[in-house]
Amino acid sequence: MPRDFKEKFFLFGIAIIAVLTILPLFHIIYSVVVEGLPVLLKGGFKFLFGTLAPPGDGLGGIGPAILGTFILTFLASLIGLPIAVMTGVYAAEYPESIFGRLARVLLTIMMEFPTILVGLFVMQILVIPMGRYSAIAGALALAIVMMPYVTVYTEEALKSIPFMYREAAFGLGLTRFKVVFRVLARMAKKGIVTGMLIGMAKVAGETAPLLFTAGGANRIYFAGVDRPVGAISLLIYNLVQQPYENYHEIAWGASLVLMLIFLAIFLPLRLSLKEVKL
Amino acid sequence: MQKVDTFRISLLPFCILIFSIFALMIVTYLAVSVPIFQKEGPQIYTTNIWKAAENNPDEEFYGVLAAIYGSVYTSVLAVLIALPLSIGFAVFVIDYAPQKIKEPLIVTTDIMAGLPTIIYGIWGAFVLVPMLRDYVMYPLHKHLGFIPLFSFEPAGGYSFLAAGVLLGVMVTPFASSIIREAYRMVPFTYREAAFSLGATRYEATKILLSYIKPAIIAGILLAFGRAIGETVAVSLVVGNAFNIHPSLFAPGYTISSLIANQFGNAFIYGYMVSALFAAGFFLFIIGLAVNIGSLIILKRWYSHAQRF
Amino acid sequence: MIAIETVNLCAYYGQKKVINNVNLKIPKNVVFAIMGPSGCGKSTLLRSFNRLLELNPNARVEGDVKLYGKSVYDMSPIEVRRKIGMVFQHPNPFPHMSIFDNVALGLKLNGLVKSKKELHKTVKWALRKAALWDEVKDRIHEPASALSGGQQQRLCIARTLAVKPEVLLMDEPTASLDPVAMEKIEDLINKLREEYTIVIVTHSSAQAARVSDYVAFLYLGELVEVGKTEKVFEKPKSELTKRYLMGRVG
Repeated sequence: MPRDFKEKFFLFGIAIIAVLTILPLFHIIYSVVVEGLPVLLKGGFKFLFGTLAPPGDGLGGIGPAILGTFILTFLASLIGLPIAVMTGVYAAEYPESIFGRLARVLLTIMMEFPTILVGLFVMQILVIPMGRYSAIAGALALAIVMMPYVTVYTEEALKSIPFMYREAAFGLGLTRFKVVFRVLARMAKKGIVTGMLIGMAKVAGETAPLLFTAGGANRIYFAGVDRPVGAISLLIYNLVQQPYENYHEIAWGASLVLMLIFLAIFLPLRLSLKEVKL
Repeated sequence: MQKVDTFRISLLPFCILIFSIFALMIVTYLAVSVPIFQKEGPQIYTTNIWKAAENNPDEEFYGVLAAIYGSVYTSVLAVLIALPLSIGFAVFVIDYAPQKIKEPLIVTTDIMAGLPTIIYGIWGAFVLVPMLRDYVMYPLHKHLGFIPLFSFEPAGGYSFLAAGVLLGVMVTPFASSIIREAYRMVPFTYREAAFSLGATRYEATKILLSYIKPAIIAGILLAFGRAIGETVAVSLVVGNAFNIHPSLFAPGYTISSLIANQFGNAFIYGYMVSALFAAGFFLFIIGLAVNIGSLIILKRWYSHAQRF
Repeated sequence: MIAIETVNLCAYYGQKKVINNVNLKIPKNVVFAIMGPSGCGKSTLLRSFNRLLELNPNARVEGDVKLYGKSVYDMSPIEVRRKIGMVFQHPNPFPHMSIFDNVALGLKLNGLVKSKKELHKTVKWALRKAALWDEVKDRIHEPASALSGGQQQRLCIARTLAVKPEVLLMDEPTASLDPVAMEKIEDLINKLREEYTIVIVTHSSAQAARVSDYVAFLYLGELVEVGKTEKVFEKPKSELTKRYLMGRVG
């Protein structure tokens, strides 16, 4: 009976599709571990702390890139988080204002914005006037990428607080400032922190916004916020395109490091929540 | 007299800042693109020429049609792959997956959606491309090479197909999460109605999917927007060649990979920066249109579905 | 002749027992009302008849339900549901489909018509049967969501009738409708009683009195009393039933 057959085919097909959807992730993890772990073991400590090897000669290390990723993420958070949180508070507190009404739409659009365009923009407004690539330019680009996530999470966290708590806080005669920052922000802490961490996990792995802003520096450690700085993602991107065998190995090792950093931030975060917006 | 809301006034600068960044971006893209528009007019988008001349800006000519073609080609491929996968996955997770593995499956796709794209890039360049070249492209080219889709000899494997497949893998979890949310929102009573008419599970699913069709369209549109904006992973597998070729196996460019590849040395030329910004502006507009369109569709659908 | 019979029927949601050992005999071509306060298990009982309860992964059934002597658990659920149609508490025509397509859906799914002409004929027949044809004949290709609540509910009845079921289950079909629409549905039930076995669930004893030939009173998952409607209403055997009918329970 064709109806019966269709039903079986459907159930079978849908299970196959589910497997096919997630299979690539396992293949990626498998590949990164198989190719990257030997590099990490062979390179040892020096791989994490040393500087880049010359072409065709050994593994050296990716220390400056690892440090650079942390510096860029830190600086981006420094710039982006306060602006994003305050904007989120405003959007939640004044939903009827022009901005409050437009906030969600504009932020969602910014979230989906091609990140390469952000990099290009920062190059034009910061790198060219300064005359060189710099950590601050990279961080600004990342901050722009990060802000919409944090804002949306903050807004949602504040809006999800039942109205009675707001009434209760105002009922105590507190000023709006105290109501929001002393009472509501504490209640919404989990949501706001989640937004911050999601934003940070996101930008720690970003590559495109850094292409024309951070510049990359793989043989010297941090030289100042107005100097070029490396990043793991940027290093991988550059090394993959090189013809040297040892650079490909380093790229795999760096990929494993980046993947571990991402999973270390993302996995605990994801497991503590019901859903995330990415 | 109304009291001045100091709280509001102290927050306002932050909002203004975020949105002036956004506005400044649009202005910058327009302003920097102006020289190339003045020089070439619409030809920047309608021709496939890339002529850089170091000493004589008048001889320069840039047309990014090949990149636009490649962007659309690879993103359409990605969406064609993502469509069945994301719908199938959403239905499986909600209706058929055993309770125990539901959550792990969703976490897995969330990891996929958040994974740094450069990791997709290195996997694409070193694993996916050789695999596709040896097991898909060469056999198809050898036996079915007379079909235009398979006509290009897949030399290195870097191609529209490789980029499309990689993008498909990357955007599927994202599209699936939108479709999954909509599918979850389908009122239970419609499910009962479908089954009470004697529908099989396949038929009931088909009916319910037709009910969430607007959300599926929105999810796919958003996935298209993500695919077209993706940069590093694509530029590592697409081949980076100015090429308008019908074959899946031909190398090409996308707008974002063109920018990634050419921008670093664009400053020594008179008009290349402007040309690349114009290309970026095009991407900007596509992204904006796709996003606004899908947001409107989603919003309309949700307000309709929530009446229950 | 008995259309539906339940034998020691119990139903559970997880650990919770919601139907406890119900034995019912529903004769053919009557209107059989199941009444009781909300949450007494009426809807669950109804959904065990056409095996719709199986959509809920936590639900479990013990005992048996027989349709003309044959256990519904020995048939395929699809066959059962085709023979036992159902109308729900909230009118739920598929809002994205036209009026016509809603009625045609079951026919197409079950392969009950052979030609387009026959499909049109049957859809028209079902809409007539559900007393909706005159109101919608000029706009059967408009979306079903454009109809009023009462019209939507009659559309759902038409959708069910089109599949030519033997038994019609109605789960509080007028609970979300205004009084005028309710009256129309009750009139319709009166017209359909000669050809179909109708099992209607209601929390209103007044409605049960108006439409039914037989009535069963369900309380906290147990069958308290069952019998001819006038008998149960005039002389309830159980004290509980008496109190329910006087409006003191539920």
